[in-house]
Amino acid sequence: MNDFSELEKDLKKLRPAQPSPVLFERVGEALRHGGPTAAGKATSSWWRFKEATHNWWSLGFGLAAAAVLILFAAVTTERRHEHQQTVAQSSPASETRPTPLGTERSTSRSRFVPAGGTNLVYNARDEGLHFANGSERPVRRVHYHTQQTWQWRNPETGASLRVSYPSEEIVLIPVSGQ
Amino acid sequence: MEPIASHENWRNCFSEVAPGLLLFARQWVQSAADAEDIVQDAFIKFWRRNHDIDNRGLLYAAVRSLAFDFIRRDARRARREATAVAETEPVIEPHFELEDDTQSALAAAVESLPRDQREVLVLKIWNDLTFSEIAGALGISQNTAASRYRYALTNLKKTLQPQ
Repeated sequence: MNDFSELEKDLKKLRPAQPSPVLFERVGEALRHGGPTAAGKATSSWWRFKEATHNWWSLGFGLAAAAVLILFAAVTTERRHEHQQTVAQSSPASETRPTPLGTERSTSRSRFVPAGGTNLVYNARDEGLHFANGSERPVRRVHYHTQQTWQWRNPETGASLRVSYPSEEIVLIPVSGQ
Repeated sequence: MEPIASHENWRNCFSEVAPGLLLFARQWVQSAADAEDIVQDAFIKFWRRNHDIDNRGLLYAAVRSLAFDFIRRDARRARREATAVAETEPVIEPHFELEDDTQSALAAAVESLPRDQREVLVLKIWNDLTFSEIAGALGISQNTAASRYRYALTNLKKTLQPQ
């Protein structure tokens, strides 16, 4: 038995205020053009979290990749420079003149040597048993979230360069059963 | 395949849910314009993600979340503008289209309910959500949703009965 059926009926007769026609235009416009919503001012933390998670990962990977590229370019340039210098010095046709000590020092001043690396595992998730590639032997799938950091140091100047980036690793561990 | 967001059927869907969504948003914000902004954002995001309308609990959860964000922002704005609006009379826009005094009394009684009961009532009566959907949208159990609904009706009955 429902004591409230009359009351519910009366409540349903109450009609909520209708949205303005402008609202329909705004929604239609935003859906057509994929533009910002409600003047882009009301973004909830819920959506922001969902979108930001992806963006921050992309940004992190992008920055890490850029740093590695710059480092690689610097090392390559330095090696090429050293090679050219050796060729120039050993060429009999060239005017040989001893390289001043200062020049040598300035070349080695820009040399960075690896000084260490860390791989910090901040989350490990056991994703259970799987059968990889149709194999009959199960493997345990473990998903690691890590923060990798690599460091280079210039022994001459003491300057150091550090690159840190998040990474994910999935490890498949064969499981043997009786 | 044509993306669902560009399809005109959003209009049918929005026409159906917009009045109830606005009423739900106005449980937190007084201004109809602010409620429309919130509903617009929630609906667009819901639609762009191609959620099935059967999964509409998410839409109401989004409205609620956006409304909370709005309240936080609005509180900051209100503090900044407190002196400017001190002399202004607040404009209370009606939540319902009222036809007579009986409906006015009923609407006033609804608005006087505690917020947790009112939001369940709004979702149940004017948005036709099930208790399961209400529970999902508000992050509460189905039993809590059902009991809040019952408390809301009991309170309304008490308020409306002749003294």
